Parts: sequence; C-alpha cells; structure tokens
Amino acid sequence: MSIATTKVAPTSKTWRRIRIGEWLLLYALSIFGALLIAGTLVEATGGDWLPVLSALLDGSVRRPGRWGETLGVAGPLLLVALGTVVSSKAGLVNIGQEGQLLFGAAVATYFSFLIGGPGPLNVVLILLFGAIGGAAWAGIAAGLLYWRGVPEVLSTLLLVTVSTQTVAYGMRWEWLLLAPQSSRGNRNQVSEQLASNNRLPRPEIFGNEFPLTVYIGLVLALLLAFGLGRTVWGLRLRLLGHNPRAAKRCGVSEKTFGVGALMISGGFAGLAGGAMLAGGGFSFGNYQFMSGFSDNIGWTGLLVALVARERVLLAVPIAFVFACLRTGSSFVGSTGVEGRITDVIQGLLVLALLIPPAVMLLRNIRRAKAAATVRV
Amino acid sequence: MTDSIGTGGGKPPPVPAVELAGITKRFGAVVACEGVDMVFHRGQIHGILGENGAGKSTLMKILIGLVLPDEGRIVVDGAERRIHDPLVAADLGIGMVHQHFSLVEALSVWENVALGEKGTLDPGAVRERIEEIGEQYGLAIDPDARVGDLPAGLRQRVEIIKCLRRDPQIVIFDEPTSVLTPEESEQLFSSLRNVVAAEGRAVALVSHKLDEMLSAADEISIMRQGRVVDRQVPSETNARKLARSMVGRDVLLRSERAALGLVGGDEQGHKDMGSPGSRGPDSQHPTLRIEEAVARGPGGTKILDGLTIELHRGTIVGLAGVEGNGQRPLGDLLSSLLPLESGRVEVDGNAVPAGRPGAMARAGIGVIPEDRHDSGVVLEMTVAENLVITNPYYVTRRSLIDSKRLAAFAREIIEEFDIQCDGPAAPMWSLSGGNQQRVVLARELMQNPKVLVAAQPTRGLDVVAIEYMSNRLRTAAEEGVAILLISSELEEILDLSNRIVVLRGGRVAGEMSRSEASLENLGLLMGGSTG
Repeated sequence: MSIATTKVAPTSKTWRRIRIGEWLLLYALSIFGALLIAGTLVEATGGDWLPVLSALLDGSVRRPGRWGETLGVAGPLLLVALGTVVSSKAGLVNIGQEGQLLFGAAVATYFSFLIGGPGPLNVVLILLFGAIGGAAWAGIAAGLLYWRGVPEVLSTLLLVTVSTQTVAYGMRWEWLLLAPQSSRGNRNQVSEQLASNNRLPRPEIFGNEFPLTVYIGLVLALLLAFGLGRTVWGLRLRLLGHNPRAAKRCGVSEKTFGVGALMISGGFAGLAGGAMLAGGGFSFGNYQFMSGFSDNIGWTGLLVALVARERVLLAVPIAFVFACLRTGSSFVGSTGVEGRITDVIQGLLVLALLIPPAVMLLRNIRRAKAAATVRV
Repeated sequence: MTDSIGTGGGKPPPVPAVELAGITKRFGAVVACEGVDMVFHRGQIHGILGENGAGKSTLMKILIGLVLPDEGRIVVDGAERRIHDPLVAADLGIGMVHQHFSLVEALSVWENVALGEKGTLDPGAVRERIEEIGEQYGLAIDPDARVGDLPAGLRQRVEIIKCLRRDPQIVIFDEPTSVLTPEESEQLFSSLRNVVAAEGRAVALVSHKLDEMLSAADEISIMRQGRVVDRQVPSETNARKLARSMVGRDVLLRSERAALGLVGGDEQGHKDMGSPGSRGPDSQHPTLRIEEAVARGPGGTKILDGLTIELHRGTIVGLAGVEGNGQRPLGDLLSSLLPLESGRVEVDGNAVPAGRPGAMARAGIGVIPEDRHDSGVVLEMTVAENLVITNPYYVTRRSLIDSKRLAAFAREIIEEFDIQCDGPAAPMWSLSGGNQQRVVLARELMQNPKVLVAAQPTRGLDVVAIEYMSNRLRTAAEEGVAILLISSELEEILDLSNRIVVLRGGRVAGEMSRSEASLENLGLLMGGSTG
C-alpha cells in the first residue's frame, strides 16, 4: 500500500510533461494524416489541393467580412455543443439537437410575432422562447426515458424526424408559422421576416459584422465551465454521470437531475435556434423561419461536442474550426472542385481529432492495469 | 536470505522448476524487489507472503514477463532464460491466474477459455477440454454457462481452467482468495492440491492471508519492502510468527483477540452506555429499527422476507450468514437503493422512506458498501471530491464549491485517516483498494452518522489494514454510533460484535449475545435446514 503511492509521486511531474508532448504529437500526426487524405482526394477527383485550401481560407477568414460570417456560424455551433456537454456529463446521450434546435426556432418564430414589447426585450424573449421550445422537445425524450424506460439515444434521434414533420405542419398555416400571402409573395414555406428592431444587433468590428450570438455563446461557455466545476449542481451532475448508484445514495435523484440535464441540453439547442433566427442574417434564413432552417447546425454542434469530449472550453476553438469549414466551403466551388468536399474534410477531421484520445485511452487502460497489479 | 536453495519442507527434487537469483527491480526511487532469491520445486506449493506493496506481485510479473528486472537471473529447468514477454513465459510453461479476473461477462465459459487462442476455433474440442480439466482437478463447470451469471468462485475457476488449458508446468496464483467466500477458498485449495499432486507442477501462491499460507503452502517465503526477510515451513511455524515477519512488529491477530477474550463481548456495550434505553435488544429506543421489511428482486423473488432488526447506540451488531441470504439487499436498503414492498425503516423513531434518493444518508445512516466501486466511490473523480459527494456543504461558500476549502478539508482528512495518495486532486482510481476503502470510511464517519453499516469492510485488506479498520469501527462504537457489521468472516464478527444476528433467506434466523456465540452454534444457525 505505502510503496505503491510513493512510487508514483516523484515521477508524476515528468510524466505530465511527457504526456502533453505525446498528446500534441498525436494530434499533429492525425490531423496531418487527415489533411493528406483530403488532399489526395481532391487530386484524385481532378482538382488541385492548393487552390482548394486557399479557397477554404478565403471563404472562412481571409476575405473581407468572412470573419464575421464564420463567427456567426460558430456561435450556434458552440451553443449546441455546450448543451450536449451537459447531458453527457449526466451520463445521457442526447443526439437529437437538430430537432430540438428546429423546434426551438419554430417556437421562437411563433411567439416573435405575438409579443409586442420594445425591441431589446423582444430579442431576449425570442431567445428565451427558443430555449423553452428546445427544452420542451428534449423533455419529451426525458419523459419517455424516466416514466417509460425508452432509451434516450433512440428517442432523441427519432424525435428529430418528428420535429421536422411537426414544424412542416406549422408551416402550412398562417395562424401558426406561415407568413401571410402578401408578405411571402410567390415563396412557399417561409415565415414572416422579423421586424428590424427585433433582431440581435450585429456590431461591426474591423469591417466584420457579426451577431451577438458569439458573445452569448462565450459567456455561457464560461458560466457552464464554472457551473460544472465549482457548483454543487455540477458536482452532483458529474456524480450521476459517473456512478448513478453512488449518486442515488448521496441524494441525487436520477429523475430530477436526468430530466433537468436533458432539458437543459435541449434548451441550449433551442437557444441556438432562436439565436439563428434573431441574429443569423444571411447564413440562416435571413431572419425568416423556413423549412430546413436548422441546416445541420444541430448535427455539426453534436460533432463539436464529440470532439471536445465533454470539455466546455475546448468546444470554443473546435466550434470555430468547424464553422470555418462550413463558411469556407462556399468558396471552394469556384475552384471547380465540388464544394461538398468540405463535408469529407470535416468527417476526416472529426476522425483525426478522435484518434488521439482513443489511442491515449487504450494506453491508459493498459498502464492502469499494469499499475493496479504492480501495486498489490 | 542468501541461501539459493529452499529450506523446503518435502524432498527437493534435483533440478528446481524455477530458480530466481538476485532479482532487483526499481521503479524510479522506489525499490520494488531487491536481491530476491527464490526457488520453486515441482510438486510443491511455494507460498509468498507479504503485505500489500511488499513486492510480491512485481516479482511474479517478472517471472511471467510483464516486468523486466533490472538485475538478477531467472533459471527455468536448469537453463538461464530471459523472459522479456509473456509469450516467452508461456512457451516456457509458466502460467498465471490473476487476482483481477480478465473475463468477458457477456460470453460463455468456453468462449472465454478459447479467447486469445490462435488458429481456427473448434468449440467442441474446447468444451471437451474444459470438461476434461474439470474432472481431472475437481474444477467442474458448465462450459455453456454465461460468465456474467457465475459467482466469483466459479469465475475464478474459469480463470484457472484458462491457465491450465495451456498445460503450464509452473502456475502462479496471485491473491486467489481475495474475492472468494470462505467455502469457495476451501474448494480452491483442494483443487490446487490436485494440480500440484497430479503432474508434479510447481505452484507459486501469492497471498497476504496467514491461515491460507499455513494450510496450503509447503514452504513460505516472506517478503517485506522488496526483500525476502524470512523463510518458514508451515509445520514449524504459526500465524503469530508469520505475522511478525511480515509486518516487522507484533500484531494482535483477530483470532487471538477473540480467543483471549480481549474483545470484551457484551461488556463494551455496557461500559459506554449513556442512556438506559440503549441497552440490549429489549430497549425501548433503538437508533435504527427495520420492521418486517419485504422486498423483491428483479426476478420477483423475495430478497428480503420480513426482516426485523434493531440497532442501539454504542453497540456493534454482527450480521452473519451465508452470502446471498439478504446481506446485499439489506446494504442496498440502507443506502437508499432499494424500495420496500412492505415494512418500515425508522431512525430514532422517525420513519425513513425506503428507496428515496439520499433519504437514508440524510437520516444519519452511513454505509461502507460491500463493493465500494458499486456505490461507494466515483473512480473518475478526485479524492477530494469523493470525500464530499454525500455532503458538499462542508466546503461551499454561498452554494459554490470553494476549491481552497475543498483542498484543505481533503488534506486534513487524508492526514487524519492516513490515506496514501498523490494529494487531494489525485484521481480516485490511482489509489489502492485499501486506501479507497479509507476514503469511504473517512467520508462516512465525517457525517457523524447515528448508524454505520459496514459491509465486508475488511475484504481484500492485509492484516495491518484490517487492524486499522477494526480499531476505527470500535472507536466509532465507543463514540455512540450504532454499527451494523455485515461480514462473511465469522472471526471478524466474533471479534467485533456485541450482539450477533444470523440472516437466512432474507430474514433473521437467530440472535445471540457475543458471550453465547461460538463458531459452532453460529454455523448451525447459518446452515439451518428450514427458513
């Protein structure tokens, strides 16, 4: 007993240093590998990798105004990812963010034309209604889980389809979401446009205008990191995620905490939907709700969380990288290469970013096993 | 210490199966093994005794190629070998049965045995071989049973068969009984005897249990801090001598204390009885009262069947019984993990809702669970966090966790309970089992519980750790805590309890004071034919 622990102590600092080096090397190698494969793919389909890369950079950050565009996408991605972290911490797998986001945006749209307060208050309310919508949608899955025992992996995923259908129904009726004939002209399936004083401001910085969503995302990321690490709520949430039986013994109710975590998770997705409506600009429907409004932000946000592996602050840069791929892709088409190549790159990057943790996990397991037996 | 040929019991055959000479292994600044000489003979069980961390397991790992020694020679069958890989060890006929099972629960017995084999799979042949080995060594097992459904004893049997299937000439058993019940251990040793006797294999038995060594080994090497400090032959030694060599000082053994009557039996209960009401089972005000508790398991069977039990402050009630007679459900009930079908639980006369999250803990019931990984600790969290999960409000300021206060609080407890770890921020999984157990004990005692449930609190611990745990429980009782000690080791129960209750079929089969209890009448009650 005594020997084992002293055995670890003197070397732990050096270990840490070696391990950080290992991490960086692994990440560098696997990202390089992914880019290599992507480059080969571009070449194989008759393109040139250099112009494609250049177009990606132009589209995401280099051209005037693109920074704002990219950050505008990164905001909702981050929000979705944050929500995902909350549910994963509680040991729940929420993969229905796309549907929660869409439903949240629909609820926000519906109420945005009913409320008639002053502009700033309206914006806050729209965001709030988005969050409530998303939370309610995730709440269905939570209810199914705790009162009927339906696995949340299945219900959240399948509810995405239900959400699309429900929203499509709403888009058929003017008393629900559809814009009146006069304001939609010959277009079908769009809602009315938000009045200009009901939109999230898009302050201009260095010639880039981007919505406040980014700030909301950053502030919430900080709050969440703090909440998970430093509050009793966070401690209990993690306790539940790691060991539900110990949690129950310590007074953490699986029901209340689980339902809460899933609803908060959905709330974040819904908030992202509301933010896309109120501040998305041209990237997202131009302040109008329409079919397909969620535009894969839910799925991509889920990927961001997956890559960040439950680390709140790590989700920030990863959301940015994924946003770059998305905004950059629109420029890639001009090089003669299919713009959707970025989807492939994105997939490769996700894989590349997940390989190092997997390698390290396997290694840790091996080391822990070795250590566990040495210790006896 | 320097003799390279064992002072062995039987007649040492001319060429030893394995000879280790001057084996030294360092991990950083710490020496795990230093100049270890050891000889294993065919047809003998060589016991290697030592406390946790004495270097026994490292030595065995060197022998099977998991760890490379810094210095020293390994001679197998007269030829010096360099075992740098477990495969080399396997080729040399060295096999090991590990302390922690490496079985896949979802697979059947034969599938587990066949795992890791090369070439094509022949299920029929594997099944046949399992039955063959089973007959030969008295290790009968159904090859088609799912490992997940088997109790620990049978799982270990699978491990042993896995090892014997390769027909090893030298078999290492690493703490084989740490997860077994007493009956299972007995079975194990009788089959171990067969393994040795049948084909003249050499067996190395690694353990920290004294009586095991005395009954099973032909020769005992005692290790302390990486060195072989003593060699003894069971016929010429006793538990006290072994314990002294192992620990390096005199240890009062549990069995001795029970025999010498140092425990005090019922007396202890009388001594610190403050209030008249807290005395004996006839008292009017029990601290904990469970009344006619009935609960059903997942299969609909009654796991608690009208259990009634009372605990009084300052007394230790020992709960004896063959495992699987309601001990685990009772532990779960008092951990708020099991709802009742009927019956009630009262603490100080107030009913506590069974199965409501945290209700039992709030009512003042602390629990050291039977399997600490199940509901006792969270391996992924830090030591400090594990110390406050039941009550984080020790370290909060305006409902925020104050990290400084948390660290200070943890440091204090780590010192007080002498928990060996890399500081408050060390992850729980990095601690050894005994130290994880201390974290649980410390946390539960910090709550100033009215009732403390200790389920198998010393299982898998070495003598020093057992002594520590026993003293802590005694002290807690003296301070007025009502203690429920659930144990499958009768010696432990006889050593600590003031009153003994025997559990059978989910209900109380009998009850007696310490002075009336003996191994015989307890055994009779436990094995009673009708429930």
